[in-house]
Amino acid sequence: MSSFYIWPQMPFLSIAVLVAGSMVFLYLARTPLHLALDSLNDGIAGGMEKTAAWIKSVVEKMQEKNRKVLLESNIAESEQKIAQEFKRVEASYTKHLADYPALHLKLDESIAQIDSDFKECGQVVPEAPGWNDAVESIASIKATASGDRVIEKMLKELHKSAVDGEKLALAEMRKTSSRRHKILSSLAPVWKKILKAMTEVDNKVSLVLETSGKIEKYMQEYEKIRDGGEDSIDMLSSRATKLFVFSMLVITVAGFGAFVNFQLIALPMSELVPAGTRVLGMHVSDISALVIVTLEVVLGIFLMEAIGVTNIFPQISGMTLGKRRTLFYASILGLFFLASVEAALAVLREHIAATNAATTQALAGQTETAAGTEGSQITVIGQATLGFVLPWILAMVAVPLEMLIESSQHVLSKLLILVIKMLGYLVAIIGHLLSTIMKTIIHIYDAYIIIPTQIGNLIKSKS
Amino acid sequence: MIIKTKLSLIFLMTAAIFSSGCSDNKAYETAICALADISGTYAKEKKSMVKIIQAGIVPKLVPGDSLVLITIDSNSYNDENIKGKLKLDYRPSQANKQRLKFAGVLDDFAAKKASAKYTDISGAMMLCSGHLKSTQAGTQLMFIFSDMKEELKPGIKRSFNNDEFENIDIAAMNVIKLNADSADPQIFRTRMSKWKKRVLAHSAKSWNGTLDPTEIAEYIDEKR
Repeated sequence: MSSFYIWPQMPFLSIAVLVAGSMVFLYLARTPLHLALDSLNDGIAGGMEKTAAWIKSVVEKMQEKNRKVLLESNIAESEQKIAQEFKRVEASYTKHLADYPALHLKLDESIAQIDSDFKECGQVVPEAPGWNDAVESIASIKATASGDRVIEKMLKELHKSAVDGEKLALAEMRKTSSRRHKILSSLAPVWKKILKAMTEVDNKVSLVLETSGKIEKYMQEYEKIRDGGEDSIDMLSSRATKLFVFSMLVITVAGFGAFVNFQLIALPMSELVPAGTRVLGMHVSDISALVIVTLEVVLGIFLMEAIGVTNIFPQISGMTLGKRRTLFYASILGLFFLASVEAALAVLREHIAATNAATTQALAGQTETAAGTEGSQITVIGQATLGFVLPWILAMVAVPLEMLIESSQHVLSKLLILVIKMLGYLVAIIGHLLSTIMKTIIHIYDAYIIIPTQIGNLIKSKS
Repeated sequence: MIIKTKLSLIFLMTAAIFSSGCSDNKAYETAICALADISGTYAKEKKSMVKIIQAGIVPKLVPGDSLVLITIDSNSYNDENIKGKLKLDYRPSQANKQRLKFAGVLDDFAAKKASAKYTDISGAMMLCSGHLKSTQAGTQLMFIFSDMKEELKPGIKRSFNNDEFENIDIAAMNVIKLNADSADPQIFRTRMSKWKKRVLAHSAKSWNGTLDPTEIAEYIDEKR
């Protein structure tokens, strides 16, 4: 510091002269220095402001793109849902309405039977002969009145025949009535049959209508998404985030399951596959175990694709039902094979572990206890079961995997937008801060040269 | 055409990754050398020494690891001093059989009566170092079962190369104290200190002069 002094023996005077000199210099250089500081401010703060604006525009573009992707993907999803529902309707029509003609025929037959029965019931009951009254009145004439025995006998015969005729007519009427009653009573089961058939028709039509109702619901949703309103965007975004979180959770759990599965078969695989070589630091046997676990997941994906639960590969979803059925059986067979292999490996693992333990004990000079054998049987069963069940559980991972892939596009993009947005804010804040600092420097500068400035102003005003 | 070129590139890159990634197991293997002192007072420790190797070292070997037993006698730098060699198969079942077989070799060694007048520790260490280097194992361990008091036969010269123990972890196991050590512990301490300086000066990776037999498993795990 002392090297800057003009008169080292008089430091205070030296400092005072330096300060005064600098004041005069800075006063004289005020205009160019102000311009230089302003330019610097424009350069740094303005540049940052522009960067922030550019980031903002990038964010807006990304948001718009993300919005479009979200809408388009959901439109496609809705279309797919509707198409699936149409397929279901078709299947429903084929399944439920296939036997409708038979039902209709049954109904027709029943109605025809009722019709003919009614017609039969409607037939006029045979009445007693109309001349009965005349015969009766003739028969009622007293024979004694004429005194003719022939007439009397004839009249008696007439009376007898009138009574017989009445009896016959009555019997006939009773017979006819009884037959009608029989016909009428036989109508009851036909009615029941019709009622049953009608209920059946009602149920089947309800099922078809239910599916149609679903289509209506999906159509409404589809139209709402197509409109692309803010509320539908928010709804879709929230749904995608929820899906992402849940699928991530399930995938994480499945990851642990895969790890357990791997641990279960890695050791016995070293017995089957030569482990003398490593690839990327891993034993070939470990890689083989990993391949088995991965194959299970792949087969699971194919299985889910074949039954139409997931739609990762359009080629599979576009296959005919027969081909999909073949794929389904092939996947099931493959999974069963791998599950059986894993169960066998799990048993082998336990055998190796038991041998290892026995060897270690033998090396340590100990003898094996009987209790160990019983325990190992339970462990063998447990491990074999685990080995058989885990592949099937892992096969289910296809569903959350598809959900994760679908939702991650939006969620990751949203996160990226958030990060870029924050960067934009940060740049804007730094720009504003630098601008404030530059302005403060200019004010301090002006404050430092206040004495020469005031003197200069005084001289200017006097002149 | 472009697709074909791209596919070829992808294939070549994958092949390159796998070929560069493929390696043999040597870098991941552990080679252990056990030096058993059969000279002087330490000859009495033979059985306990074999027990430590059987219960402490052999079970810790994993498929691919190797173990060699070398005796320390009057002239240890001799191939006849190699009393047993074990290289574990990668199949666990075979490895177990080999372990049990080697345990039998160790039992035979313990049962045989052998002793030496002089103690050539350096010669055994040089023999062991050569063996460990030949294995090219990623981890190389040397366990010395001795009282660490070297007495060379007249006419025998032992000097280590500068890189004699390069990449080798050395541990003195079950070091018993001699009568003179009990009378003056400083003698023992000085002796061990000299050994430490000597092995570290000849590029040893580490030195442990007081390794307890119960800590052998942790020691191997730590060095692996």
